[in-house]
Amino acid sequence: MLEASALAMRFEAPEGRISLFENLDLSIDAGDSLAILGTSGSGKSTLLGLLAGLDLPSGGRVSLAGQDLTALDEDERAALRSGRVGFVFQAFHLLPGLTALENVMLPAELAGERQARPQAAAALERVGLADRVAHYPAQLSGGEQQRVALARAFVSRPQILFADEPTGNLDHHTGEQVIDRLFALNRDYGTTLILVTHDQAVAGRCARVRYLRDGALATEAG
Amino acid sequence: MLALRLLYRDWRGGELRLLALALIIAVAAVTGVSWLADRVAGATEARAADLLAADRAVEYPRAIPDAWQSEAESRGLTTARTAVFPTVVLNDQASRLVSAKAVSDRYPLRGSLRIQRGPGAEEVVPDGIPAPGTAWIESRLLGLLDVSVGETLEIGAHTLEVAGILSFEPDRGQGFGGLAPRLMFNHADLPATELLGEGSRVRHKLLLAGPLPALDGFTDQLVAREGNAVEIERPSEQGRGASEIIEQAKRFLGLAALLTVIVAGVAVLLTVRHYAERQITGVAVMRAIGATRRQVLALMIGKLLWLGLFAGAIGAGLGYLLHLGMLALVAELLDTRLPPAGWQPLATGWLTAAAALVGFALPTLARLRNAPPMRVLRQDLGSGLLGAGVPLLAAAGVIVALMAWQAGDLRVTLSVLGAVTATLAMLTAVAAAVVYGARAWSRRGGNRRLLWLTGFTRRPVTAIIQIVAVGVGLMSLFLLAVVRNDLLSAWESEIPADAPNQFLINIQPDELDGVRSRLAEAQIDTRFYPMVRARLTALNDAPVQAGDYDSAQARRLARREFNLSWTTELQADNRLVAGDWWGDVDDPRPQLSVETDFAEEIGVELGDRMTFSSGGQRVTAQVTSLREVRWESFNVNFFVLASPGTFDDLPATWLTSFHLPPEQGQVLNDLVRTYPSVTPIDVSSVLRIVRTIIDQGSSVVELMALLTLAAGVLVLLAALQITGEQRRFESALLRALGASGRRIRRMARLEFWLVGLVAGGLAGLSATAAGMVVAEVLFSLDYPFRPLTLVVGALVGLVTVWAAGALGARRYYRASPMRLLREGG
Repeated sequence: MLEASALAMRFEAPEGRISLFENLDLSIDAGDSLAILGTSGSGKSTLLGLLAGLDLPSGGRVSLAGQDLTALDEDERAALRSGRVGFVFQAFHLLPGLTALENVMLPAELAGERQARPQAAAALERVGLADRVAHYPAQLSGGEQQRVALARAFVSRPQILFADEPTGNLDHHTGEQVIDRLFALNRDYGTTLILVTHDQAVAGRCARVRYLRDGALATEAG
Repeated sequence: MLALRLLYRDWRGGELRLLALALIIAVAAVTGVSWLADRVAGATEARAADLLAADRAVEYPRAIPDAWQSEAESRGLTTARTAVFPTVVLNDQASRLVSAKAVSDRYPLRGSLRIQRGPGAEEVVPDGIPAPGTAWIESRLLGLLDVSVGETLEIGAHTLEVAGILSFEPDRGQGFGGLAPRLMFNHADLPATELLGEGSRVRHKLLLAGPLPALDGFTDQLVAREGNAVEIERPSEQGRGASEIIEQAKRFLGLAALLTVIVAGVAVLLTVRHYAERQITGVAVMRAIGATRRQVLALMIGKLLWLGLFAGAIGAGLGYLLHLGMLALVAELLDTRLPPAGWQPLATGWLTAAAALVGFALPTLARLRNAPPMRVLRQDLGSGLLGAGVPLLAAAGVIVALMAWQAGDLRVTLSVLGAVTATLAMLTAVAAAVVYGARAWSRRGGNRRLLWLTGFTRRPVTAIIQIVAVGVGLMSLFLLAVVRNDLLSAWESEIPADAPNQFLINIQPDELDGVRSRLAEAQIDTRFYPMVRARLTALNDAPVQAGDYDSAQARRLARREFNLSWTTELQADNRLVAGDWWGDVDDPRPQLSVETDFAEEIGVELGDRMTFSSGGQRVTAQVTSLREVRWESFNVNFFVLASPGTFDDLPATWLTSFHLPPEQGQVLNDLVRTYPSVTPIDVSSVLRIVRTIIDQGSSVVELMALLTLAAGVLVLLAALQITGEQRRFESALLRALGASGRRIRRMARLEFWLVGLVAGGLAGLSATAAGMVVAEVLFSLDYPFRPLTLVVGALVGLVTVWAAGALGARRYYRASPMRLLREGG
């Protein structure tokens, strides 16, 4: 489903060139789930962005659904993501002027889907927010916002879901509820899941765990 | 349609309201002025042709040769003949001097006649001209000759039957014919009157209508052949006064609309930037979930298209109402029928909306397509995305284009453009100097200064933008006020220094000697005039009713009680133009001398009998002379003067006018104390009346100023909106660090005061400067620099920014420190 080889990310900084990571190899099969664990600043979010094709690596290749992302320009990568890829972010990133329902409708609308509204309503029902469709993000709790984000991520039945610290802004209990929903949806839809977190417990729910440490991926906690 | 849905959601979320309002105001200003100008100009052109009853007229001292008429017709022109001459008509009992007018078929070629078939009958547009053997006469002639419709009149050797009452004649004009009542008859009857002998005072005209080249061809040839014997009249000559005023008004309004568009454009620029900044993350999310750059761009353009469509329609609707309001304000000045409103201003409105959006909004919004999708994971990305250079350049380009298009006059465009550019540059430079100066000063002075000046100096660029934006808004307001008031002041200052500046009225007859000697003691040599106030109740024994008059001015005069006086000697600023002055001759007949314009307006002629009423007394006297008055002398003058003794039965008071040097102000105070019933009027109050008249004419401009003010307030609010989030954060942070709410508000207030003070002061300064330039270039007037404008400007700026700031930013300072924890800053 997704394959990365010899992935490298380097930045130009005032103190010279900084290498975030070098020579990373990673692959994940369809329907599989993978957690990338790492401390703050280890580069795990950047890695997630590269795997999702949001940015291009300084070196190496990423292929998603059989397509080499590094050979595509930004719009071609976007077109590839469209309808195939879902996201869940730490900061939720719901659009403040849109209701919960409209936030969930957005991906389907962008994809030109005619049945966006009933699909979004069904997705919100699945995350237990049928009574919150007309609420704006500011009127929802953090847990509810992240559930809206889950609905938005799953509404277009993506083949692969990228989750960036999905419980990072939530308390432990709420975080667990959100993670339960996430894995339930993942299981139901057979979605491939790549999840980035610093929380061992969350990572433990995934089939496989990788540790990003000192610019390298390890299979064991260090 | 996705763009429309997203636009709707943005709107509902309150994102684009300021932007839409700014667009609506700009479109309303442009369409309102456009509709007004179109319709008034159309009416003026039509009216100018009406005033001639033709597109062109050839005046000739002798009968128009038949060959001319057939030659004109062979060129495809429509023709008609008229002949106007004074003559006496008779019936059984009476005779009367009339202005007779013989007209041929097809007269009038432009405009139309209106007649009544009998007294009190409905006014109709007649089908043609009086039939041979009949005449239409003005209604007053019915009374003057005691004749009724259906009876006959003798004109020269001919007899005509009165077939109708002439109530309107487009080319009535002025001069001799304007004073005598009209009798209109068929040109075919002209020879039978035998009134066209040598030496008769007949003005023959050949009226022409048709395409311009044919008109020019015919008249050029005629002038070449006949030389000075023929005189060619054109519509523009008939309506020159009106069209000049309208041309100037159009220019002034165009200027005002332009200012509104520019100020609204600044608001669009600011709001769209704020909007775009808030959209970056949203667009990044869209791009992460698969939107391409082209899709984002299409969405943004789509949003703007819909926004422009709606705002343009609403703005044009408002503009339509605005022009109706303006028309209502100037209805009495126009006094004419307007052509129906056209569609062109609607297109103008949408074009303005489109231009404003393309110039002010699109360059910024288009940048959003490059929002990095990685921003969804790293918020620091994409912060410099929007840029400033291209949007500003695009805005400047659109402003110049709009100016050139709207003003249509290169000189006006350049002077306004120069003023705006210089002002922007100056505002920016001075604002930067003040802000950075304050920053340097506060850093040297330690914590206390730093805290007080925070906000103002911690956001130097924002502070400068705010100062310039508010400054531009205020400047446009001051400019309108300054231009109008200072032009009036400049005009006032051109009145001679020794012109009377004081009136004393209500001097009772028994106080006259006392007042006279008091003034004489103060070396003030002046003349006293008796005055009675009375209403004109009858003209030649027929009751005067306001409704009898066509013009609004005459209706006002007929309703009003006005001032009458008597005298033996004619003042130097009066000139007799008809009749004889009674002088000192001991003539017991009550006589009147009437000012010519007034006589014309109210329909009074030499020999007429006017009856005045006051306090139950009635006095009737005959008009024995007409005079012209030079009103600008500022001396006491009267529409109607009487011979001594005429008004003896009416209650009279006395009045005088004189020049009182300012240092002798005490004289007036003493006088008023001794004679409490005497009312002094400073001549400035007379000037105030003049000012009022001008103000009424310029109330249209005030409507435009109101729009500019609204746009200026939008700029203020937009500037506040931009810094809103930062203020909210700062407020929460300061509270968390222990600052009291009062202290935070005080700091905010100080920031608003500083911004307002600097912006207002600069606006006052630049408006004065720009006003001086405009006065010099457009009106060739100069007026002195007024430092007060600067002070007043600073205060207005302070109050405006403070008020708007308090209203617009209040919610930002209610932020709880908890926000910091919840939102992580």
